[in-house]
Amino acid sequence: MITNELKLPVVNESGFYEIRMESIGGLGANLAGKVLAEAGVLNMGFNGSNFSSYGSEKKGSHVRAFVRFCAPDIEVRVNSPVTEPHLLAIFHENLAKSAPVTQGVKADSIVILNTSKNPDEARDFLKLYAGTLYCINAMKIAVEEKTRVNTALLGAICRASGFLDPAALKDMIAKNLGKKYASLIEPNLKTFDRGYHEIVSKHFKPDGKYPYIPFTRNGQKIGYFNQPLGGVIPNAGSSINKDLSASREGWIPVLDRNKCTSCGECDITCPDYCFVWEDGVDKKGKPTRILEKIVYKSCKGCLRCVEICKFDALTSHKEFEVDKTIIEKGYTE
Amino acid sequence: MRIETDKEEKILQGETDNQTIDFRSGNEMSAIAAAQINYHIMGYYPITPSTEVAEYLDEMSANGEHEVVLIPGDGEHGAAGICYGATTAGGRVFNATSAQGLLYSMEQLPVQSGTRYPMVLNVVCRTISGPLNIRGDHSDIMMALNTGWIILLAKDPQAVYDMNIMALKIAEHNEIRLPVIVAYDGFFTSHQKRRIRYFSDKGVVHEFLGKIRIQNCSVDVNNPITIGPYMNDPDLINNKKQQSMAMEAAYKIIPQIYKDYADLSGRRYSMVERYMTEDAEAVLFILNSAADTAREVVEKLRKRGEKVGVVYPTVIRPFPANEIREAVRNAKAVLVADRQDSFGGWGGNMTIEVKAALKDDPQNHSLILSRIYGLGGKDFYAEDAELMFELALDAARNGRVEVPYDYIGVTPGDPSFTFEKVRAPITEKESSPGIIKVSRDEKTGKVEAKGIRQAELTAMPRRIAPGHGACPGCGIFPNVGTFLKGIEGYVVMLWHTGCGMVVTTGYPNTSFNITYIHNLFQNGAATLSGVVEMYKERQRRGEIPKDQDITFVMVTGDGGLDIGLGPALGTAFRNHHMIILEYDNEGYMNTGNQLSFSTPLGHATSTSNIGKVGKGKRFHHKDSAQLFAACHIPYVFTAVESQYKDLIRKAAKAQWYAKHEGLVFGKVLSACPLNWRHPDNLGQEVVQAAVDCNFFPLYEVEHGITTINYDPEEKNKKIPATGWFKLMGKTKHLLKPEFKDIVDEFEREVERRWRRLKAMHEHPLL
Repeated sequence: MITNELKLPVVNESGFYEIRMESIGGLGANLAGKVLAEAGVLNMGFNGSNFSSYGSEKKGSHVRAFVRFCAPDIEVRVNSPVTEPHLLAIFHENLAKSAPVTQGVKADSIVILNTSKNPDEARDFLKLYAGTLYCINAMKIAVEEKTRVNTALLGAICRASGFLDPAALKDMIAKNLGKKYASLIEPNLKTFDRGYHEIVSKHFKPDGKYPYIPFTRNGQKIGYFNQPLGGVIPNAGSSINKDLSASREGWIPVLDRNKCTSCGECDITCPDYCFVWEDGVDKKGKPTRILEKIVYKSCKGCLRCVEICKFDALTSHKEFEVDKTIIEKGYTE
Repeated sequence: MRIETDKEEKILQGETDNQTIDFRSGNEMSAIAAAQINYHIMGYYPITPSTEVAEYLDEMSANGEHEVVLIPGDGEHGAAGICYGATTAGGRVFNATSAQGLLYSMEQLPVQSGTRYPMVLNVVCRTISGPLNIRGDHSDIMMALNTGWIILLAKDPQAVYDMNIMALKIAEHNEIRLPVIVAYDGFFTSHQKRRIRYFSDKGVVHEFLGKIRIQNCSVDVNNPITIGPYMNDPDLINNKKQQSMAMEAAYKIIPQIYKDYADLSGRRYSMVERYMTEDAEAVLFILNSAADTAREVVEKLRKRGEKVGVVYPTVIRPFPANEIREAVRNAKAVLVADRQDSFGGWGGNMTIEVKAALKDDPQNHSLILSRIYGLGGKDFYAEDAELMFELALDAARNGRVEVPYDYIGVTPGDPSFTFEKVRAPITEKESSPGIIKVSRDEKTGKVEAKGIRQAELTAMPRRIAPGHGACPGCGIFPNVGTFLKGIEGYVVMLWHTGCGMVVTTGYPNTSFNITYIHNLFQNGAATLSGVVEMYKERQRRGEIPKDQDITFVMVTGDGGLDIGLGPALGTAFRNHHMIILEYDNEGYMNTGNQLSFSTPLGHATSTSNIGKVGKGKRFHHKDSAQLFAACHIPYVFTAVESQYKDLIRKAAKAQWYAKHEGLVFGKVLSACPLNWRHPDNLGQEVVQAAVDCNFFPLYEVEHGITTINYDPEEKNKKIPATGWFKLMGKTKHLLKPEFKDIVDEFEREVERRWRRLKAMHEHPLL
């Protein structure tokens, strides 16, 4: 099927309309990029390309997906990542805390953020220079429809782009789910529609509130003059400083210290070593180990600890409903 | 419009009926070509980024779309052996690999070419270790220059398809008969989707290739021959001369095959492609995907009036020296960009070869600059190409080269930066809380560990820090973390390549609070053997205090015990004082869930797909615990995190045995929510079900005496295999009636192994 007239609203020097998705492994940005590009090339008739950033990372780490569209008669000769996106989609707002996700966003860029915030709050959160900001609570939609955020974001991207044909995208979503996951087609199309319709937007002029963030490759502090020989890492255990909260997909465990018996089983099952223990005394005054708190910075929300806890001291909750002070303290009482 | 031929234009406009337009990646195109050719056999071993080729082929195979028999090797060396044997037996053979995989198979490559058996190998170019890096550069393919294989290059997914079809035709040509590599850029080409075209009817491909002409067949009973004799100096040099003659023939024949293919497809290739070189004063010589970026920049610079051009070969063995000489004859300066370095050779291999080619042309006065770029998959942006052109233009203008050889894209670093210590080293005292008491019963000779109290054991400092990048719910870290609660004192660890390793040590961060070594997973056990023996020898020489004690623990996935089994068994035979801990997640999860030898029968992986024909893995799971028990090492155990007290107890015993007697082997079943497809929170339930259906019995073997530690039948916990299978997406299909035979066969084998183990438990002599 070839749909619509072939027209890109804006292109760069090389003739491309460029899309960048900033995401977390597991949220489906790679697949979203694929569906988007296939819809544009095979269903709408553009030429284009699609790829994702790859590393050794697993589910839960920063991933970027890129889509380029151009006129059908232009040859794609660029392999490098999109540095100045016409459209930027941020799949998880926590990413903005740890990665420069808004690099290259200009006054006429479109930015889509998966958030419960309104566009004014979201702009301040992102420290966005300018552009048209679209907010969509894709996490909420995905939890409600039992799907993933990527389809909701595809709906939002489609609407915000102003040129992508929703029918072309929905056709490609259905094709990708295919026979293997046929039962998922309907909820995903519904998720797409909700993403398409539930976006809220606001245009921000470059009013000087936040500076333009240019794309840069030269932020490395460790180079050939000071990299320890042979690639050795001299500071043992340094990953403890990493913030992995963006790896969570909407759910967190909450520790109720009143119910906790400090039995120690959560510490056995936790893959991310989030539990902090301290020396204390038990009810009889005997010295023992006491579970102090959960370090949420390290927690990926797998909920293994909730599964193992026999005392209901650890329970699962939707993260957006949990009081922020609990996350800061690491427990409730 | 940048359309090169009328035919091409017609194809673009959909006016041809013999090609399908699609949107595919390089790896997909490699697989499509292989499926259309319908090779007899693919011997392979998964390695990123080439793995997808086998995955796509397996998926197509599961749906009955081709007949290629996919044989997983025990490593790339084994895979190359499978391929070699298969080519001698008279069929068409295919393989795909990358980086270390190419190097590990390399011993076999000159055998393949020297005994003259054609086949096609796709090298999906990736950086060679170490340090480990999985992304794309050309450090691997340049190692293959001297193997006697023809090497074709494919710069984009379309070329991957086209070159794969032409490669086989070249390989099998009667005057050539050499194996052929098709090399394309890892990730940039392998994983980037582009609009492509392929023949709608595979018959077109078959007609182009013609029938295979079998020579020197190892299974022709009417014609007994000796393949691969011992050959002394009077003769060997002549065999090599023949190989050289075959390369000369290839040099003549490749352009003809390119032409025949262009007539068929509308896509024209030259051995050396030139872009705006006719009047160019500054030329960039660059390979594969980066050449596209360079072409883009040529147009930009031409608009500014700069006379620049690009040259990129589509074949580097045979090296198209004449065409290169011709392409740069009038260039004042040529910058050769190498995506690898021949360290100490003052340039990458292409620099050295281009310089050599130009030396033979007395008319040529081009100045040559060599620049190393894009190592480790560092992205190549238009600005990088522009910088290269500027350097070449400067040289052309000035008539001299200021800096003949250099790196671009490197960072000097911030001199004020220092690695901040986040913690003090773990002391022997703090890591010896004395909670567990280990002793040997002098009567039975058995070692016992008592006092396993998990709450108290939270006092044991973590040898692995939070902040690693494993998937939510990963089983590796509960397993290894719990195991380490049972190990007191200093620990040094070596981890094989695998999920656990890559997620803990992404530079410049590490999750290890103790000293950690990585080596590639063919060789970790041997490496740690070396560490252990050096430690002991230095203690003996008084260089390290004699009373100091380090427990050496090697951690491997089940994949590392497939490819690395030989060195691990060697370590067992030598009985070094160390522990090997295998986390078995039943597949190559780090590379994307390919089957391992530990994957159980019928289980679905990305190389044992379910489909019309595909029924999951075709053979039974490897039993590594019994393999090591057969080496008669002092202590072997199996454990699961859901029975954590048992796991900690075995860890404490393992430490005792490693200290006093020698090698310990332990195997833990490790949940992989991502690829087993179960909820992140249910890892313990799933591995316990594997125990309760007797698939993964919990036992230990001390001095050859087997003790089952948990008998599901006695505890009234025994469940059928389906009780385990229903918990995972990868086994859901096994619940369907049409898979009953496979489930029955699985249960028969599990029962047989369990009964045998019970007999061993009951009889100390077994």
